[in-house]
Amino acid sequence: MSTTAIMAHMIPYFPDRELSYAAAHGLIDSKVDYLEVQFPFSDPSADGPTIEDACGRALASGFSTARGFEFVHTLVDRGAPPVFIMTYAGIAYASGVKEFCDLAKQSGAAGLIIPDLPYDYDEGLYEAGIAQGLAIVPVVAPSTTPDRLAELLKVQPEYVYAALRVGITGAATELGQDNLDFLDRVGASGAKVMAGFGIRSRDQVRMLSEHVHAVVVGSAFVKAISAAAAAAGPDEPAAAAEAVYSAVETLVSALRPD
Amino acid sequence: MPQHEYRAFKNTFGEFGGRYVAEVLRPPLDELEAAFIAAMNDPQYRAEFDSICTEYIGRPTPLLHARNTSREIGGAQIYIKLEGLANTGAHKINNAVGQALLAKRMGKTRIIAETGAGQHGVATAAICAKLGLECCIYMGEVDIARQKPNVFCMELYGAEVRPVSGGSRTLKDAVNEALRDWAASFANTHYLIGSALGPSPFPDMVREFQSVVGKETKAQLKAAGVVPDALVACVGGGSNSIGFFSPYLESETPRLIGVEAGGRGMNTGEHAARMNGLGKTGIVQGYKSLFLVDDDGQVQATHSVSAGLDYPGIGPQLAHLGSIGRIEFTRATDTEALEALKLFARNEGVIFALESAHGGAAALKLAAELPPSATVVVNMSGRGDKDIFITAREIAPESWKRFLEQEVQTL
Ligand SMILES: Cc1ncc(COP(=O)(O)O)c(C=O)c1O
Repeated sequence: MSTTAIMAHMIPYFPDRELSYAAAHGLIDSKVDYLEVQFPFSDPSADGPTIEDACGRALASGFSTARGFEFVHTLVDRGAPPVFIMTYAGIAYASGVKEFCDLAKQSGAAGLIIPDLPYDYDEGLYEAGIAQGLAIVPVVAPSTTPDRLAELLKVQPEYVYAALRVGITGAATELGQDNLDFLDRVGASGAKVMAGFGIRSRDQVRMLSEHVHAVVVGSAFVKAISAAAAAAGPDEPAAAAEAVYSAVETLVSALRPD
Repeated sequence: MPQHEYRAFKNTFGEFGGRYVAEVLRPPLDELEAAFIAAMNDPQYRAEFDSICTEYIGRPTPLLHARNTSREIGGAQIYIKLEGLANTGAHKINNAVGQALLAKRMGKTRIIAETGAGQHGVATAAICAKLGLECCIYMGEVDIARQKPNVFCMELYGAEVRPVSGGSRTLKDAVNEALRDWAASFANTHYLIGSALGPSPFPDMVREFQSVVGKETKAQLKAAGVVPDALVACVGGGSNSIGFFSPYLESETPRLIGVEAGGRGMNTGEHAARMNGLGKTGIVQGYKSLFLVDDDGQVQATHSVSAGLDYPGIGPQLAHLGSIGRIEFTRATDTEALEALKLFARNEGVIFALESAHGGAAALKLAAELPPSATVVVNMSGRGDKDIFITAREIAPESWKRFLEQEVQTL
C-alpha cells in the first residue's frame, strides 16, 4: 500500500524567513499531502532539542504570530496542501483562542493542533474551531487511558494525532506491535489517524501504512533544513535557498514507499 | 492522631490554575492527584511526615523577635520566622519531604526536579539520599554558575545535576527540561516540583506541604501573646509565601504582603515582578496564571540578583489572591535586598538568603510606617550561606577577589 499520506512539519522563520519559504516551497512542490506549520513558542516543553533550538532561531529571526499567519496565507495561495497550524496554548491564548481560530481560518489553514489545550482545558478551542469549520486535532499518546480516549473522541474529530510513544519529539521510535495496536484502537473511532514522533525512514512509513491515514515527519525535516542551510553558509542566500529546497525534496522521496 | 478528611484541594483558583498539559502527561498527573488526596487522608502518612519534620528537618523552626532592628527603626515590632534554619537551609525541604514520601508510596524509584537557586535541588537531593531514591536535578547553566556551592552539595548527596543549556538557561528552562524527562519517564519517576506552580495538583500539593510554616508561626505568635498586623514573604513561584500565609487566607486579617523581585529597574528583562499590572494572563508550563510575556505570549527575560526569584510566572493561587485583594504585592530591588541582608546580619546575627532578603527589605519599610505597638512578621525562607559568592562580590569585592586568587594558587 502506498497510499499513506505524509504530513511534513516545518517552522516558519527557521532558520530565517527566506529559507523557511524555500523549505515550504520544496515541500509543496514535492507534493506532501499535509503541512504542519509550527508557530514557535519560547518554552516548547513538549519538544526535544532539535525543535526547541529551531523555535529559538525562528523567534530570533523575527517570527511573530502575525507573520506566522501571513506565512500560512502565502503558502495556501501558492497551492499548498491542507495546512495544520501546531502551537502551544500560550500562543493561542495570547491572541484569544477564538480570535486565534478566526485568524487561522482567514489564513486558509485547515486545522489546529494545540496539544496543551486538551478537551477539558480547551479555553473554548473546540467550540470556536468547529464554528469556523477548522479541524481541531486532539493529540493522544500510548499512555492515554481508554476512558480519556473515549471522552476526547466524543466530539468526533476528523483527525487525531497519535504520538507513537510517550516522551517528546525528536528521539528515535522503535515501532512494535504495541504501537500498531494503539493506532488501530484510535482509528476504530473512524477518525483519520496521523501518527508521528520519531519517524524518519521509509521502513517506518511502510510499517505504519496499514494502520494510519498519515505519518507525520517533524524533526527529520528540521534537521535536513538545518544541515542544508549550514552547508551552504550565510554568504550565499540564493544557493542556501536552493540547497534547502532540494534537501526537503530529497527527504520526501526518501520517505515515500516506492 | 485524628482521622482527617482532606478537602482543601482546589485545582483552579478563580480564573487561574488548571491542568493545561498534553495528553501524554495526563495519566501521571491524574495518578498523582489521587495519590495525594489518599495520602492526606491517611494518618500514617501524616505521622511519617510529622516525624521527619522533627527528627530530620528540625521543626519547629524558631520565631525571633528582632528587637535591635525594631528599636532602631522605631516602628513596628519585627518578628522573623527563621525558616532558613531548617535542615538544608530553606523552606524547600518541607515540600521535598512531603512529595518524596508520596512518590515512595506510589512506588516510584526515581525523582527528578528543577532548581533555580539550588535550594530546592539541595532539599530534593538530601531527602532522596535519606529515602534511598535515585535523584536527577535539572539546573540552568546560568544558575549553576551563580550557585555553585549548592551544585557541590547536591552531588555530595549523590544526585546527578544535569545542566540545562536551552532558552535563558535559568529556572524556567530547568522546568521545561524536567517536564520533557517526565513525559517519557513517569512510569517509574516522580517530578518533584519545587514551587506552588505548574499543572494541578502541584499548586495544591506544594501549598499543603508548606503550610507547616504558617501553622507553626501562628502557634508561636499565639504563645508569645502577639497578634500580627502583617505577614511578609518573598515570592518567586510562591511556595514559601503561600505556606506562610495559608492559615490566614480565609480571614480578613492580618495584611498579607508578597514581595517580588524589583531587580535593577522596571524595564523588560530587568526584573521578575508579575503582579500590579506587570504580568499578563497566560498559559505556560501547564498552568494559567500571570506571566511576563509579550503580546504574542512569548515568555520574556527576567532578572533578579536572587536566582530563586528569577522566574517569569507566579503560582496560580497567589495570582488569584492578588486579584481579589487578599494578598498585597510589592517589590524590592536587588540593592534593597542586599541592604536588608546587611542590616539583619549586623543587628540580629541572622543572614538572610537573597530571596528572603526581598521580604526583609519590604518588612523594614512597612515597619517604619507603623507604630511600635504593631507587629510585622517576615518569613526568612532561607539562610544566606549559599549566596556567599554573590554577596561577597557585592559587599566586599576587593578582599573577596584576593581570597579567590589565593585559593586558586593553593589548589
Ligand atoms: C530561600 C528561598 N526563598 C524563596 C524562594 C522562592 O521560591 P518560592 O516563591 O517558591 O518560595 C527560593 C527559591 O529558590 C529560595 O531558595
